[in-house]
Amino acid sequence: MKKLLLLLLAPFVLFAKPTIAVSYPYIEALVKSVAGDSVEVATLAKGEWDPHFVTPKPSLITTLRKCDALIINGAELEIGFLPPLLNRSANKKLNSSTLDLSTKVDLIDKPELLDRIVGDVHKDGNPHFHLDPHNIPILAKAVMEFLSKLDPQNSATYERNYSEFASFWAGKLSEWDAKMASKKGLKVIQFHDVFAYFNNRYGIKSLDNIEPLPGLAPSSKHTMHLLDLIKNEGVEYIVHDVYHSTKTANFLVQKTGIKLVLMPHDIASLKSIDSLVALFDHMVEALK
Amino acid sequence: MKKTALLCAAAVVASANEKFIPDISLIMDASYVSRSVSDDTASHLEVPSVAHGLLGKHDHGGHSHAAYNAENGFNLNYAELRVSSNADPIFTLDAVFHFSEHDSEIEELYFTSNILGDGIKLKGGKFLSNFGYLNEQHHHYWHFADMPLVYEAFLGNHAINEKGLQLQYTFDLPYYLMVGYELLQGENEGSFGYESLSVAGNKYAKSKKAPAMQVGYIKGSYDLDETTIFGGLSFASGSSRQDHSDDEDPHAFSGNTKLYGADLVVLHQIDSYSNIKWQSELLYRDLKGKQFAFDDDLLLKGSAKLSKKQAGVYSQIIYKHDNNYAGGIRYESIFKNSVTKNAEKLAKPEDLDRYSVMLEYNFSEFARLRAQFNHDRSLFDEDKRRSVNSFILQANITIGAHGAHSF
Repeated sequence: MKKLLLLLLAPFVLFAKPTIAVSYPYIEALVKSVAGDSVEVATLAKGEWDPHFVTPKPSLITTLRKCDALIINGAELEIGFLPPLLNRSANKKLNSSTLDLSTKVDLIDKPELLDRIVGDVHKDGNPHFHLDPHNIPILAKAVMEFLSKLDPQNSATYERNYSEFASFWAGKLSEWDAKMASKKGLKVIQFHDVFAYFNNRYGIKSLDNIEPLPGLAPSSKHTMHLLDLIKNEGVEYIVHDVYHSTKTANFLVQKTGIKLVLMPHDIASLKSIDSLVALFDHMVEALK
Repeated sequence: MKKTALLCAAAVVASANEKFIPDISLIMDASYVSRSVSDDTASHLEVPSVAHGLLGKHDHGGHSHAAYNAENGFNLNYAELRVSSNADPIFTLDAVFHFSEHDSEIEELYFTSNILGDGIKLKGGKFLSNFGYLNEQHHHYWHFADMPLVYEAFLGNHAINEKGLQLQYTFDLPYYLMVGYELLQGENEGSFGYESLSVAGNKYAKSKKAPAMQVGYIKGSYDLDETTIFGGLSFASGSSRQDHSDDEDPHAFSGNTKLYGADLVVLHQIDSYSNIKWQSELLYRDLKGKQFAFDDDLLLKGSAKLSKKQAGVYSQIIYKHDNNYAGGIRYESIFKNSVTKNAEKLAKPEDLDRYSVMLEYNFSEFARLRAQFNHDRSLFDEDKRRSVNSFILQANITIGAHGAHSF
């Protein structure tokens, strides 16, 4: 009887592929690594643009209204666009089926002073934690556990895929760690502190940012300060995200001869970055 | 590793581990105004047969009422205090307290349901109606320092801000489509009202049973790559009661009003920080009823059957250069002004235009300075057109945790 029931339900179950909405392309890649084709993924933000600024298009309300679960970066990265979209989507499933990845890793650079006199800071710490390649398996595991709870029938598949992914990733990690060993102590500046976790992992010293304070546009006074800093400290690279204007960076290059590297922060942030592996391969190779 | 596997989506995104403290924010809106006419002259000007008191201060129903940027010189327009939080797994509560220099009011206080699901959202309390595009947005989110002429003329400077219930449904389709219905008390200063009409002890119209106003709309959106098209059709209907017995030319009105709206927004995103937004709305008002005219002792001078069919439009283009600079132009016109009194059509001006240009600088996401220039050809002094030029320097500063805005 039970078998018959299962057989009768089978076609419906087969079609009931859960749809997972995710905020950024890197989360889409994590979900696909764990779930393969067992789920549909809908991604809200584009990889080549600033993850803090996403236009709250009404089409994103439609995406959130239809999905079965949501996986977000968290740590306030989505605070500028996601709350009103969620409110308008009126999808009660998401009240209980949302995974906040920032709760799964240790955040760094939690501000000591929570005051906007120091700019638009994230109070939980730096939210760009996926750029430490050692965090990727932790995040993949969280996604696996989340999907297994959501879709218990496929949990064996999710667990198997995760184990395969984790051992593959361990291999890549030793490769990247070996290549980055010589970069310890390298001095860089950034536009915004997007690469804090990558730098932290490999002992790269990020001495300052082109923006004088988080969320503020470059100022000539601060740029003059950077000129001195680059000369006095022997800063070797400007590790620049792809979405801010490189105008000030180019000026610094012209004045000091410092090397400018356009560093990808997510999948599709540069044309060649089509996977998580390609993302970290590129990051590791970028600092020659 | 930290625990928390499944958390309420709204709570997670709104973040804050120091929970149970609602998000609280305060917005200041202040301005410096320089007008080509004196404040006294400005407060006498009217858009003929459409609205008066759009500039300057005037007394209305016992309390002094000022438009934003009312006077030459410095203006403290308002402080807006917003408090918002999930109440429990079922309700979210939002409150907006509006303080003018000598007055305060609850501008919004509403619950939203979190549990109906399937695209159904219920809101109740006092709120800004989702009629049209601009109506639901707060003043500080607009691209110009003042309200579009047609909105202010038909609805007053609080727009449709009513007590009532709102039900919205988002369809399960590949593109965005939403329908909404609102049942409202109907107390709008510009077009709607339900209370009995009494002037100097004489009653001229009975009260209507409230809720006396209904609003319905349909909104859709479609993306063409990085261009988002968003459009809607709206309808509002209700009884009207207007007591202008305090005016220089005392009069009152009782009847019914229908308001039709069409809006279209096209936003092209150039990169993370830069975009071009074209925003237009058309409003058509169909008002029918009885007008009462009074003499200086507020005794009835005469009454007439009155019908007004009026329409206006605004269209604006805003270019946002980056997170600091934006600029824009706006054209507005009340182009239909058909007034019939006792079956006799009155000749009323129909080319009531206003032109505006603005440039703004955002110091950060929380502080903005905007310079705006208006050339206004919609205002009349008696029967004579009086062009008014205004320069407005507007400052907005926000502190605290202020929620993100919708499209």
